[in-house]
Amino acid sequence: MRTNLLANTGVKMNVFSEDQIRELIFAAEEAMWLTGTEYHDEESLEILRKAGCTIDGIIAHIPPHITERALQTCQKHIVLCNSRTGERELFLEGGNAYFGSGPCTPFTRNPYTEERHRATRQSVCWATKVLDALPNIDYAMSLGIVQDVPLLLSDRHEFEQMVLNTDKPIITVCNDQYGQEDNIKMAEVIAGGEEELRNHPFICLYAEPISPGVHCREAAQKMVYGARKMLPTIYTPCIMAGGTAPATLAGVMVQGLCESLSGLVLGQCAREGSPFIMGGVYTVLDMGSTIFSYGAPELDLMLAGLADVAHYLKVPMFGTAGCTDTCVIDEQAGVEAALSMAMTNMSGANLNHDTGYAEYGTTSNLDLVVIADEVLGMARRITAGIEVNAKTLDLEEIEDEGPGGRFEPAEIPEEPDDSVFEPKNSRVDYQTRLVERGAREIWESKGGKTLKQVANEKVRDIIENHECEPLEPALAAKIRDMVENAVGHMPGE
Amino acid sequence: MAATIEDLAQAVFDGDSRKAKKLSQKLLDAGEAPLDIINQGLMGGMSEVGVQFKAGTMFVPDVMAAAEAMSAGVELVKPLIAHEDIQSLGTVYMCTVKADLHDIGKNLVIMMLEGAGFNVINGGVDVAPEKIVEDVKELHPDIIGMSALLTTTMLHMKDTIELLKEEGLRDQVKVIIGGAPVSQDFADEIAADGYSPDAVSAADLAKSLVGAA
Repeated sequence: MRTNLLANTGVKMNVFSEDQIRELIFAAEEAMWLTGTEYHDEESLEILRKAGCTIDGIIAHIPPHITERALQTCQKHIVLCNSRTGERELFLEGGNAYFGSGPCTPFTRNPYTEERHRATRQSVCWATKVLDALPNIDYAMSLGIVQDVPLLLSDRHEFEQMVLNTDKPIITVCNDQYGQEDNIKMAEVIAGGEEELRNHPFICLYAEPISPGVHCREAAQKMVYGARKMLPTIYTPCIMAGGTAPATLAGVMVQGLCESLSGLVLGQCAREGSPFIMGGVYTVLDMGSTIFSYGAPELDLMLAGLADVAHYLKVPMFGTAGCTDTCVIDEQAGVEAALSMAMTNMSGANLNHDTGYAEYGTTSNLDLVVIADEVLGMARRITAGIEVNAKTLDLEEIEDEGPGGRFEPAEIPEEPDDSVFEPKNSRVDYQTRLVERGAREIWESKGGKTLKQVANEKVRDIIENHECEPLEPALAAKIRDMVENAVGHMPGE
Repeated sequence: MAATIEDLAQAVFDGDSRKAKKLSQKLLDAGEAPLDIINQGLMGGMSEVGVQFKAGTMFVPDVMAAAEAMSAGVELVKPLIAHEDIQSLGTVYMCTVKADLHDIGKNLVIMMLEGAGFNVINGGVDVAPEKIVEDVKELHPDIIGMSALLTTTMLHMKDTIELLKEEGLRDQVKVIIGGAPVSQDFADEIAADGYSPDAVSAADLAKSLVGAA
């Protein structure tokens, strides 16, 4: 009889030891206190001053005890729900890793013409349909700034297109606090009220400081408003080693933590207990091209390290995966996206975005989203690990068949279903959807297509044939009306 | 062995500030014309850095080190030259537009422009159209470079160009724009004089606009 066997129930990677994590956190607390961060918003400065921070002009110096208290008080158990049923779907905690698209690319590539153009209502509609149809994609972000409408209202139109075309949770990125207010109102209408939305949030809010150490007015106000609404808010800096942070990767970690945690402190001082998600896109400023790299191995490494820190703090983590620097979906895109998804999944970052980003984050690409879905299936098979017990050791079958015997093939489910990995069924291998494993003749008989071609066909098939769980017509009409009547605000006025 | 202008250019190319300063002094002591030291030695080395950076064989830190080496020499030699003799390709006024605090891209462009031989005025971030117009009146730049990272703030580029028109200044200054959401189409739409997708081509664009390309 086995007693107290220590077993791995899955595969996981770590970058830092607990001692190193503590060093990073204390260094961030030191930077938040000594150097401070800028808040370009009077109300936020007042909130921080009242809470006990030292305000010097627009710089707030946050004493460590306030940071530590904020880390204690923020809500850490965050669940994102289905927009139609309220069903609780994504539990952003522990090593749970969920994946979805990214927001705000100015451009997108048309899946029919390959033309790169500014994102539109139609492109966001198509993108959301694709996100809705794919089993390994867990939530939606817009994959484009809608630009065939007045630009100051793009966020309302993005929300409308997303909520019409998927019932999966939505992360909504708004231009400013006014846009965020409108989108929350629309979400409340759909959820059936303010309290219903708070109890079953199907939206998650998003704000982004400007690295290094600057909380612009829009980010600070969105953080404060989201906290007061008790809605989960992601606070996620984009940092470049050697550009907006030290060139040392540990220095980048400190700078990033300093920015995320100073957003946390603002949120907790505005409303203690509000749900908070820390995050980031930590990468390098490419010293040859000067781009903010979405395909650099340092991005994967630093964000896996950040996942270690987030796990230590028990704060949900917003990660980055499935993206590429290349302009078209080619071998480079496959390499960069796959590496990031496999590593991110193994690091256990909770809510991972930017799947489908090409051209260093400026252009979304649906072919990449479909390929990423397949890669995620593989990555999830890997993290499901290998179960070791009397049944799976299968000595009986080894004995029965003996040398030269014939073993039964693995069970193959009729429909590939990733839910078989949770709880795991180690007898079931990953069933490919797009990846071709056929012999040459079989591959040739199917047209001898590349993965990119097969993915593009899948994208078109989804756009033409996929139907999502519809939003009630009366609700859709209300949302249409609210979008039509929204009022945009010119930034800085 | 006596120092040569070529040695000085090489020191700048190598990003060796100490050596660039030392050689500049030696060349001055040897009676070399200050203008030649700047144009052929210091800026000569820097222009080769620009070529190599574009070719992907040198990187941002190399460019920064070379720019520092060039400045170290220029600082020493400049006081010996009459102001009007100093060759500059022109003055560029660079800023990030109103309500936008993103400036890493703008700062990279400034570095490249200075390396290319422009006199650059850094207007900073969150610069309103009215302030840009005021600065144009006071500082008379040849080119205005505007940067924006957001689709919402890039609208201020259009406002600025319209205000320049209203104030009768549009013909006196070229306007170039850049930033992630900006494109050539947008530049055409708001009647800017040029757009460039990155810092190196921004310097090339500026050169072509002052007829130095």
